Formats: sequence, C-alpha cells, structure tokens
Amino acid sequence: MPDWALIPWKVVSSFMRAGAVANKAEVKTGIWHKLFTHFDQHLNWYFPLPAILALAAIVAFPMVYNIWLSLHDWFLVSPIGPQWVGLQNYVQMFQDPKFWTTFWRMLYFIVGALAVQVPLGLLLALFLNQEFRARNLIRTIYLFPFAATPVAIALVWGMMFNPELGVLNYFLELFGLPRSLWIASEKWVIPSLILVDSWEWTPLIMIITLAGLQSLPKQPYEAAVIDGASSWQIFRYITLPLIRPTLVVATMLRSIDLIKTFDIIYVMTQGGPGEASETLYLYTYKTGFQFFHMGYGAALVVFVFALVLVFNLVLARVRR
Amino acid sequence: MSKKLLVMALALTMVLGLTSMAMAFDGWDQFKGTRIRFLMNNHPFTDYIKTQLPKFEEMTGIDVVLETFPEDQFRTKRLIELTGGSGSVDGFMIMPGNSGLQYNQAGWLTPLEELANNPKITSPDFSFDDFFAGTLKAGQFDGHQMTVPILSETSLLAYRKDLFEKYGVKVPTTMEELEAAAKKLTKDLDGDGKIDLYGITMRGKRAAATSQWVDFLHSFGGEWLDANGKAAVNSKEAVAATKFYGDLIRKYAPPGGTNVHFQESIAYFTQGKAAMIYDANVFKKNYEDPKGSKVAGKVGYVLIPKGPAGQVPHVSGWHLSIASNSRNKEAAWLFIQWATNYENSLGALLAGVPTARKAAWEDPKFKNNDTTPDWTAESLRGFEIGSPVWNPPVIAIGEVRDAVGLAIVAAINGEDVQAACDKAAKEMDAIIKATQK
Repeated sequence: MPDWALIPWKVVSSFMRAGAVANKAEVKTGIWHKLFTHFDQHLNWYFPLPAILALAAIVAFPMVYNIWLSLHDWFLVSPIGPQWVGLQNYVQMFQDPKFWTTFWRMLYFIVGALAVQVPLGLLLALFLNQEFRARNLIRTIYLFPFAATPVAIALVWGMMFNPELGVLNYFLELFGLPRSLWIASEKWVIPSLILVDSWEWTPLIMIITLAGLQSLPKQPYEAAVIDGASSWQIFRYITLPLIRPTLVVATMLRSIDLIKTFDIIYVMTQGGPGEASETLYLYTYKTGFQFFHMGYGAALVVFVFALVLVFNLVLARVRR
Repeated sequence: MSKKLLVMALALTMVLGLTSMAMAFDGWDQFKGTRIRFLMNNHPFTDYIKTQLPKFEEMTGIDVVLETFPEDQFRTKRLIELTGGSGSVDGFMIMPGNSGLQYNQAGWLTPLEELANNPKITSPDFSFDDFFAGTLKAGQFDGHQMTVPILSETSLLAYRKDLFEKYGVKVPTTMEELEAAAKKLTKDLDGDGKIDLYGITMRGKRAAATSQWVDFLHSFGGEWLDANGKAAVNSKEAVAATKFYGDLIRKYAPPGGTNVHFQESIAYFTQGKAAMIYDANVFKKNYEDPKGSKVAGKVGYVLIPKGPAGQVPHVSGWHLSIASNSRNKEAAWLFIQWATNYENSLGALLAGVPTARKAAWEDPKFKNNDTTPDWTAESLRGFEIGSPVWNPPVIAIGEVRDAVGLAIVAAINGEDVQAACDKAAKEMDAIIKATQK
C-alpha cells in the first residue's frame, strides 16, 4: 500500500491519540477534547466518509448526468450543444420499432441462457457436492471459464464457429452430422451465443449453488433416510425447497449480467448477421457511441438501468 | 569553346547553389521547447514514424508525444478529446472519407493554406501537388485543404494465378467475366460432394460490407445520393449493383457470408478456400506473408472489373490534420511537413505503407525490390482514377452504413433486393433529415 493511502488512518489515529491524552489529563473542556468527543460520537459517519465521497464522484455523478442527458437532444458531432427536450426521448423510445425488436431479442437471449445455465449449474453442484477423489481439482477446473477474459473467449469461439475453417464443424462432420453455420446464421446466432455464455457462466451458478448445498442442515436428510425416502424424493422434497432461495439469487445475478451482455456479442457478431443478434444493450451502445445520438442513447441507458434496478430489488427481497 | 563551357558550368553551379540555398529551410528549430501532442491510430505508418521521431526532435527541439490507440479506441478517444475542447490535442490522424464531414461541421479542423503559404514556417520543398490528386481532394472541405495525406488505399481484386492458369480462367475485366470466373472456380476438388474451393470471398457483414460494395455501386452507375441530396440507393443501377454483389457472395463465396468481415475474408483467401478476394489493397501483406498465408507468391492483382458505368474503385486514406483549437499550430505544422516529406514517405513505403507521395513510388530503392509489380501498377492507377467517395457523403455515416448494410445482407440472403433497397433509402432519408438540419 502506498504511503498516501495511510493518510486518512494517520489523521484518525492522531485524533484518537489526542483524545486519549485529553482524557488522561482530565482536561474535559479543551478544544481537543471537544473534537475528540464529537469524532467519537459520530464515528459511524466519519469512517465511511472517504468511501461515500469517492462513490459520489464515480457513481452518483455519472448517473445524474446521464439522466440529465436523457432529457436532451444532442447529436455529438454537430456544432449545436445539448438541447432540452423534456421526455421526448422516452416517447421516441417506446415508439421506436428497433427498441422493441432488440428488447424482445434480449429477452430471448436471457431466458434461453437461464434455461441452460440454471439446471446445468444445479446438476454440476449436486455432482460436485459428493465425496470423491480429486473433487477439489475438478471444482477448480470448472471455475476456469469465468476466470478468463471474455474478449479472449469470444475471439476463440468466433474462430471455432467459422463454418469453413472452424473446429466445431469439423467435429460435427466427424460424427456424420451436417455442418452448421453457427453465428453466421440468423436463426442459430442467438443459440450459439447462449452456448458461449453458458460455457463461461454456468460455473458461477454451480459455485453459488454448491455453497448453498454445503450449508444445508443434516437432520432433514437423516430423518428422510430413516423414513425410507428414495433419493429422488429426497432431492424433490428436501434439497430443492431448501436450495431454492440460493438458486433464485444465482438466477437474479445472472439475469442482471445477461441484460448487460456486450463483449462476447460485440466481438463475435457485432449484432449480425444482419441484425439477428443486436440486443438492446448493443443497440444502446451503437446509438450513443457509433451514431452519436447522446440524448437518446442516455434514455436507453436509463431504461436498462431501471430494468437492472428491478432485478436488484427482487434480489434484495429474496435475500431478506 | 572550353572557356564557354566552363562559364556555363560555373553559371549552372551558381544557379544550382542558389536554388539549394533557397531550398534550405532554417526555421526548423524556431519552436524549440514546445511540446505537441498527436493522437495516432495504431497503424504501420505510426510504427514507422515512431522509429524516425528522434531525428525530428533533435532537429527542431520540439517534444512530440504520439498517443497511439487501436482503431476503435482511437476514434473514441479522438472524439472525446475534441468534444471536450480543452485544446490539449494539437493534431491527429484522420480518414477524411470517414469522419471528415463530421469533423468539419463540428469545426474541429484547421484550414492549412494559411500555414502552407507562410514561408517562415513552411519548408520550400513542401507542396500539396506532390500528393496523389484523388487522395488530396478527399481532405478538402468548404474549399479548404484541411489535411495532408499520409497514405492512399484502394481496393483490388486479388486472384490465384496458379488456379486461373490450371483451370483456364481469364482474369476478369468485366462484371460478366467476374461472375463467370467465380462460377468456374467454385469447385468440389476431392469429389466428396462438398465444395472445397469457392470462386470469391468478399465482405458481407452489414455496415462493413458497404466499403467494397460501393465500388460495384459506382461501376454500375449508382450513387449514394441523388443531385437533390436524397438517398439514391434504391435507383435501378443501385439495385442491380446490390443484387450482383449479393448473388456473388451467396452463390460463389463460402457459406455464412453475412458474418464475413475482412478478417474472415482474408482467412478464406490465405487458407486457399477462395480463388479471388475483393478487399483493400493494403491486405497484400497478409496474402503475401509466407508465415500466415498458404497462397503467398501465387497472387495476381487487378482493379475492379468494368461495370455498365465503367471501372470506378474508391480511394481512401489516412491523413494528418491540426486541431482547430490547438495552441501550437505552427509547431504541429512543422511536424506534419516532416512526417510526410520525401524521406519519410519512402521509408514508410519500404515498410509497406502505400504512401500518398507520388515520387516515392518511382524511387529505385522501392522499384528494384518490388516483388508484386502488378499490385503497384494497379494500386497507382486506382489512386488516380478512384473516387474519393466511399462512405456515404452524410454526417451520420455509421448509421447510414448500418441501414444500407441491411440491404446488402438481404441481397446475400436472396431476398427481394428492390424492397430492401427501398427500405434502406427511406431510412437513409430519415437519418439525413434528423442529423443535417
């Protein structure tokens, strides 16, 4: 840690030393003593203050600025600066057919990805929750995908998906199956992206669920065994209900991430072929940073933000 | 007689001496201690000029900071810096055909004539006439020269000489011959019922596809806009060009053409999967790289075949320009003159950068070591006859390219091309209306 990072602590500790000295001397009226008492009583405010200020600068300000921007019309490369238009951008948004097509496409992607990742993650967790040799090694190996850089992953998958030169079609042919166009097909591009996303993120669901499984109480299981329940019954009536809150948390976390999926899509297809994989988040990026409609782009961001917020509120509810 | 000769020789030396004295420019070090900052694209030219930079810094005492970013980030960074308006950027690389209109409308470019006409800060051997006319013209806005070209690019049809010879195919000079060649070279070589050699490969990925499609558009007689500034991408000629382009890819290019950008296209060609490729001429270095390409040394080059309206490739290029709010315009101007001078142009050319300075291409150092003279000849012809219009001449280029790109995708998919072009034209008009008030 660099020296400057210790400054807040040095200030605090010198206050405390001063306070201690003041106390010891039983001079209960001096300025040091007053300061110390004040500080001591409001410690809960002073300690997080630097963090609050930093958060305000890097989170709150851009957010407020973004909302302000969404109420303006601003074409970045025109000499005219932002013009106040009120809620015009939001009205435009709900009338914009591209907004709706990209929104439904995003939902298709999210639901599809969850339908693969949640059951698969749960199965993997159940499997890795058992006692067997090399369990820890296998667990670690399963974690590799989400430790890798998404852009690198996307580049590699993009090459594997190539219909002529890619390794996936080579394997398909090896097993006598017909070739696929993968991400070059308007029909298969979203399923292919779901495949990549699931490869990368199923382990996250697995690790969360596994943590949940390991914290489950032993007694219900013992009781069930004594009552002669089958393993399916144990899973269906004990494990599943008990693990449900954990699964919901994992699902919510993934949903929020899926709304914001950008890197793998942008690197592999840039929204193509045609516009077959242009999700709402990609459309938002294009609107702002490629087409320079900053006001409308900001309105789209506010919508995405609201969507994430809803998921977060549900998440907070479930956790409680 | 001999006396006369002597006098003449003396006179000649004096004249030459005078000229060379006049040519010597002693203003290089007048901005000693100044620091200038240029935003650069991560490009072979930047790599080259960085190696030479110490010479300039020693000669002028100017401290040059070249901030280099990969292309996407470079564009974003440049935009942010200029929108911010802090004036801390003195100059930048720019593709006028891509962002020139935008940047000029926003008032971020500096007219260069005033600087170039000032003998105190301009070396006498600098002249705009030394650059390729088409490339130079791309940097003119509102009647002013706003940029100095570094390099020219055009598109070339690269073809496999060995395969053309083996299968008796004629190098195409017309669009009909191009299609015939593509058809003839789409083959099942090993007889397993699957095609393993495709006739051609070209970009089919939405917005990216417009860069090469535009040459077909022009060669078929189409234009981006009509005389009234309305979208013309649904004209008879434009629809014919789009249909031709789409059909070529659907019938004779590797499947999945709508996801092919230049990376994929180059990979197909260099892996021997396609007999022809139509893309930027600078990719010669990929085709001819013996490490990454299976076809190195087997490639021939020609310009786009003639269409109904002739042979119209496009010329694009990277240029250097000075930010309008720079506080060190004179020092930045010195840097630009030096970076585009003969010595550096030749050096860049030898490093594989197709320089925009005409004379460098004639230098024996380049000519004697040229392994692909057909590439050189056709590229140079392209720089002369090419159209500087390759992107739509509108402010919202990205958005329009995206809209028109969808029509190209529809053509590749074999959908109704007229309907797709009508839709693109309608969208284009709406975009122009919204962004060019």
